[in-house]
Amino acid sequence: MDYDVLVIGSGIGGMESSIKLADMGYRVLLVEKEASVGGRMILLSKVFPTLDCASCISGPKMSSTINHPNITTMAYSEVQGISRTADGRFQAAIRQRPKFVDWAACTGCDACQKACTVAVPDQFNANLAARRAAYIAFPQAVPKKAVLERAGTSPCIGACPAGIKAHGYVSLARAGKYEEAFQLVLDATPLVGTLGRACYAPCETECTRTKLEGPVPIRLIKRFAADHHYEGTTPDGPAIEVAEPNGRTVAIVGSGPAGLTAAWQLARKGYQVTILEKREQPGGYLRHAIPTYRLPHEVVDADIANLTSLGVQIRCNAAVSDPEALKAEGYDAVIMATGTQVATRMDVPGEDADGSVNGLDFLDAVANGAAPDLTGKRVVVVGGGNVAMDAARVSLRLGAAEARVAYRRTRAEMPAHHVESEDAEAEGAVFELLVAPTEVLTADGHVTGLKLQRMRLGAPDASGRRSPEPIPGSEYTLDADLVISTIGMSPDPAPFASLADKRGRIAVDPRTLQTSVPYLFAAGDVTAGATDITRAIGSGRRAAHMVDRWLTGQPLDGFTALDDRLETVTHESVLARQTAFGHRHPISGDVTLAPNPRDFAEIEAPLSEELVRSGAGSCLDCGVCSECQECVKACPAFAIRLDEHEHLSDVEVGAVVVATGHKLFAADLKPEYGFGKFPNVITGMQMDRLLAPTRPFNTVLRPGDGKVPERIGYISCTGSRDKTVGNPLCSKFCCMYSIKQNQLIMGALPLADVSMHYMDMRAAGKRYEEFYVQAQDMGAQYIKGRVSKITEEPNGDLLVRYEDIEHGGNIVEASYDLVVLAVGIQPNRDVERLFGEAPLGLDEYYYVAEPSAELSPGQTTVPGVFVAGTAAGAKDIVDTILHSGAAVAQVAAHLEHHHFSEEVPV
Amino acid sequence: MSQPDEPTTGGTERRIGVYICHCGGNISDYVDVEAVREALKDEPGVVVSESPVFACSDGTQHDMIDDIRAQHLDGLVVASCSPKLHQVTFRNVAKRADLNQYAYTQVNVREQDSWAHQHDRAGATEKAIGLVRAGVAKTRLSDPLEPLRIDTVPSALVVGGGVAGLRAAIGLADLGIQAVVVEREATLGGWVGRLGATFPDDTSGADEIAGLVEQIKARRDITVYTSAELTGKSGTFGNYAAELTLHRDDGDKVLTVGVGAIIVATGFDSYLPDVGEFGYGIDGVVTLPEFKELVDAAPSGQLSYAGRRVRSIAYVYCVGSRQPAGGNEYCSKYCCTATIHASLQVARLDASVRQYHLYRDIRAYGRNELLYNSSREAGSTYLKFADDQPPAVAKLAGGGLGVTVTDLLTESRELTIPVDLVVLVTGMVPRENAGLTAVLKLPVGSDGFFNEIHPKLRPVETVVDGVMIAGCCQSPRTVGESVAAGLAAVAQSAALLKKGYAELEPLVATVDPARCIGSGECLTSCPYDAITRIEWDGRSIASVDPATCKGCGGCVPACGQDAIDLLGYTDAQMRAAIEGLIAAEPVKEAVS
Repeated sequence: MDYDVLVIGSGIGGMESSIKLADMGYRVLLVEKEASVGGRMILLSKVFPTLDCASCISGPKMSSTINHPNITTMAYSEVQGISRTADGRFQAAIRQRPKFVDWAACTGCDACQKACTVAVPDQFNANLAARRAAYIAFPQAVPKKAVLERAGTSPCIGACPAGIKAHGYVSLARAGKYEEAFQLVLDATPLVGTLGRACYAPCETECTRTKLEGPVPIRLIKRFAADHHYEGTTPDGPAIEVAEPNGRTVAIVGSGPAGLTAAWQLARKGYQVTILEKREQPGGYLRHAIPTYRLPHEVVDADIANLTSLGVQIRCNAAVSDPEALKAEGYDAVIMATGTQVATRMDVPGEDADGSVNGLDFLDAVANGAAPDLTGKRVVVVGGGNVAMDAARVSLRLGAAEARVAYRRTRAEMPAHHVESEDAEAEGAVFELLVAPTEVLTADGHVTGLKLQRMRLGAPDASGRRSPEPIPGSEYTLDADLVISTIGMSPDPAPFASLADKRGRIAVDPRTLQTSVPYLFAAGDVTAGATDITRAIGSGRRAAHMVDRWLTGQPLDGFTALDDRLETVTHESVLARQTAFGHRHPISGDVTLAPNPRDFAEIEAPLSEELVRSGAGSCLDCGVCSECQECVKACPAFAIRLDEHEHLSDVEVGAVVVATGHKLFAADLKPEYGFGKFPNVITGMQMDRLLAPTRPFNTVLRPGDGKVPERIGYISCTGSRDKTVGNPLCSKFCCMYSIKQNQLIMGALPLADVSMHYMDMRAAGKRYEEFYVQAQDMGAQYIKGRVSKITEEPNGDLLVRYEDIEHGGNIVEASYDLVVLAVGIQPNRDVERLFGEAPLGLDEYYYVAEPSAELSPGQTTVPGVFVAGTAAGAKDIVDTILHSGAAVAQVAAHLEHHHFSEEVPV
Repeated sequence: MSQPDEPTTGGTERRIGVYICHCGGNISDYVDVEAVREALKDEPGVVVSESPVFACSDGTQHDMIDDIRAQHLDGLVVASCSPKLHQVTFRNVAKRADLNQYAYTQVNVREQDSWAHQHDRAGATEKAIGLVRAGVAKTRLSDPLEPLRIDTVPSALVVGGGVAGLRAAIGLADLGIQAVVVEREATLGGWVGRLGATFPDDTSGADEIAGLVEQIKARRDITVYTSAELTGKSGTFGNYAAELTLHRDDGDKVLTVGVGAIIVATGFDSYLPDVGEFGYGIDGVVTLPEFKELVDAAPSGQLSYAGRRVRSIAYVYCVGSRQPAGGNEYCSKYCCTATIHASLQVARLDASVRQYHLYRDIRAYGRNELLYNSSREAGSTYLKFADDQPPAVAKLAGGGLGVTVTDLLTESRELTIPVDLVVLVTGMVPRENAGLTAVLKLPVGSDGFFNEIHPKLRPVETVVDGVMIAGCCQSPRTVGESVAAGLAAVAQSAALLKKGYAELEPLVATVDPARCIGSGECLTSCPYDAITRIEWDGRSIASVDPATCKGCGGCVPACGQDAIDLLGYTDAQMRAAIEGLIAAEPVKEAVS
């Protein structure tokens, strides 16, 4: 057997049970779901009726717990299921949640916490203040270790084919860390400026904020970071980490986004990388196809300079006809990243006439200073993709009188990004839809027009789009001076003919990107056909990773190192954890779209810093951790492990103590009290935090405006003794904690008036009545009668309407600066899941049932399972201690009776 | 922090770490902690001086351990709260760092300084410096000591055979600890044994006791003495000799049993009103226990008192409880629910009985609220009176009783309710237990109930090692709560006894045989009879039994020859401490 006893929950009941059992010599496994033991008591200010500081008396208990030689503590862990074996023992499945911090190395220094760029409500401060995603639970945490809260990967990161940490750089930009934001993108690819302009931003499509008023302007934030860097605010080149040269060489054929990215990654790993580019200038379609009004060449140049600054050589005019020969030239490995160089032919008569060109050649000529003069010309572009839009818009800029886009399906099926087609239309392009070319008309070898046939949509094809079918007899003619065909492109298989598949692509293992020639890898569109920049970048990263592994003799896997993304969080889960949303006007780029533009100036204006900060500020931190890497950089112990996984274990134990505690009543379920709506209505737990030694604001203030309150009203029985919220039970401790707080407030704010509206003052317990009398003597007012409603005044004060029973029973109103709701106890229904098929008996209010509460308190319906503390119903701390003691006595009796331990160790 | 010097080798120079705790503001709000640290950092022997926010936090404990190891410390001083709270905590820190735990000194700058001088920061700071300097001086002269280890007896004495004591006895036996129960009365069961249906679930108290007694009879590892009392105790925790006096028809018999621990569960007495108090003494005015007996014994269908049918009842709550200063100021906790429960019993007997509850606050806490709801649904009427306007009970002219009350719930009208029976809801009072208190040296609170070490986290332990308290001898409680306390005392006993040995403080008196002249002056000064005469080198001298000595120091000044010293508090240490204390100079406010 692994342990004698499993104790679930390390609040005061769980700690007391563990320590007593361990003192008796039993081996105890204590499982705690938070990162620190201590439960709720450590978060309290002081305790009644002694006014001992809660930290002072529970801190040592926490320390004794984890330092006890007979107690094994698993923090940040959950019991997933317990089953009772035939011989009366228990098998428990325990999940240690990934902490993403190596606790053996973590010193609890809080450098990660200070570096973290994400702020979320601090559950240990009753949501009064924020904590970081990388955090130590609270200052007195035991063990004092950090965890990284990761709910999953944020949808923006999950959506990026390049695996770029969009949430991370948004979060960095939010913190004003623009250079760090730039560096974070740089970690994936050198093409930061390019992506900031030319990426179609699937991250924004997936942004949870889209479900509200509109996405975070992620791409433009990246552009801002790139511009900020390139504008020389940080004059030294990229401060990216580069390994020592390792003496190996890699040749990369092609300098598009895949090749450039692969080169970047390998160069950073210490490889000597040479890029072989057949054209005069590097950049592939970034330079040779994407028009400069979308992506200026200076931006591409700046991005490529990141690469060359690492010593990567780019040899232009260096067409490769035989990649295998490169091996002979001395390269240890070769990556083919030659993209899709061959334009698909229309296969119609007249296609080769003067005035009929393909889009790739057209854009290439324009990009390289050989733009034709199209003044007054009529242009017809065939196709509906992004290249078609570029061709039409470029034509207009070159003076064309008209630019028609002929596409064989409807707008809905158009493969061009909707922004592209909308922008093209705004600039004057005219769409001819449901048409297909049948002939390029010529006269004297020159194009005069295009014959088109009308189409209709038939059955869906393999891609799910409905196939166009010709409508017989519907042919017509468009006059044209220039016909630009943009109906597709594919790789040029010539250099790798023996490795090409039947579509002319280079055949690779899709996971490793290795070809059948071991040293030859391929990346980007040459393997996949025409895609987009982000996919090419993702492919380039993968190829570099695999080449590195292959050259260092490692198996071709390590996919988590390549991509440490977790499961993407759902929009629903993100929205569900928000309590309120501020309305924001969505921020988008300012794009100038004049009809018939005449120049190639960049059409999109950058965001101002103010808008970047405000746009980034609207991020909902979906995955909690933004993966911005600041903690990784800040940790002096190198303890951050973003690739850590959960650890599941099975243990066998002789007995179980359920000490899962309670929840507090969610005060917003009493809407008449305005909690969650009126900032100056807080809960008792929040007041305890305001009074605690580790209080968030170092004084008692009201959250709405920070004013130090002078009139404080308490409302007892919030959520207790209240059938309207389904809880007729009394919570027992609220009267007393309120009286305690009343005394503490009168100590902290001697001039403040404290009143409490109560039903019955339940000061039942040793020295409790005396404590109540003491509070009255100090000046606290206790007003018998229920509160029916709270309204907020414009200055944030609160009008409390109540029945003044002791003075004639009139309905009167009192004004307070701050109202504290004395919220009561609710069952922690997590216990229902613990025992799976044979669940633990619960009472009708969902507390753990004690069939013999009088003579065997702590005994449950399952032999060998005991309950300690508030999991069995309302208790204050001392009652929890006694109840735990009772449970412990019976746990030990159970263990002795069954002789589970061969011998009781000392 | 200074760099580690060469470890001292055999020299007398001590290496002491001093930690002055902020206590999260409890100290630092009133004492300039940095000034104290500054003043102490160059004190002879001090090589580490720190000022943590919480010295007791796990992080700081780890830092201390690191300091002790890295700096080769041989003394540790923490200036924080009362040693009652954390002496053990920091001794354990020392132990974990392989430093002798008695080289640790706790200086109380909270209860004895910051809290006491909240309006005099300069004065409190000066006092703190003096106190810490005294602690350092004392530590400089500390000698390594080891705890006294004694074998424990796997048995425990339970004083009181009520529900808490009986359940505790079974709990002990379940863990392999022999239980001896001593009950003053002739029968077991206490109050609960005399009860019929009890709240919350109507189980019969008498049946519960009968069930426990049945179990006890069937077990050989529980011995019960009724009509018996604990009349003496000697020996030491883990191995006490308990002297029991058995009152037998043929005279008292005295018996000694060896026990490792003692659980006191002597229960309570019910408050007995003075004649005239709320009409007590008038025919038809009864206490809660009297009423409960009446209800429990009533045949179905009707409730009678002294042969008269009872058709209406007034309950006057808080009789003998929540009294003004000087009286029983405490709340008796159980009586609200017990009364509500009894009134439900009445409603079941005869639904036509009109029942009026005159209360101050209904303290039906937790699930008991459900009983309160049921009683209102069953027709009970509740009237609230102000703390300073108690009801009056009188005989009515036309016969019967009248209860006059100003009801806050009815616009504070004064009402006189004619009833057949008035029940004074009497609370609990501490038992007369002077003999037992003296034998066990149990601390008694101002309310007359026994006091625990710490009312929050150590509720069953007392300041007397190995002596636990449980049930209503400690404070008013319900049956379930008393039993829980009894079992918690079992767990505590087992935690002490299961190891088979116990460790005692070595901070005991020791006699220098060379100086002792055998005057015998010290013998009468010891309240624990720990000093005896022995023959030494042909002379008769005093000798202290370290296992019995409590280290109170009472014998030290009694010795005219200065032959007795208290380990851990030697004359030399105390003189040095006093020197340190008075050497303090007024402080300049430190730069903070």
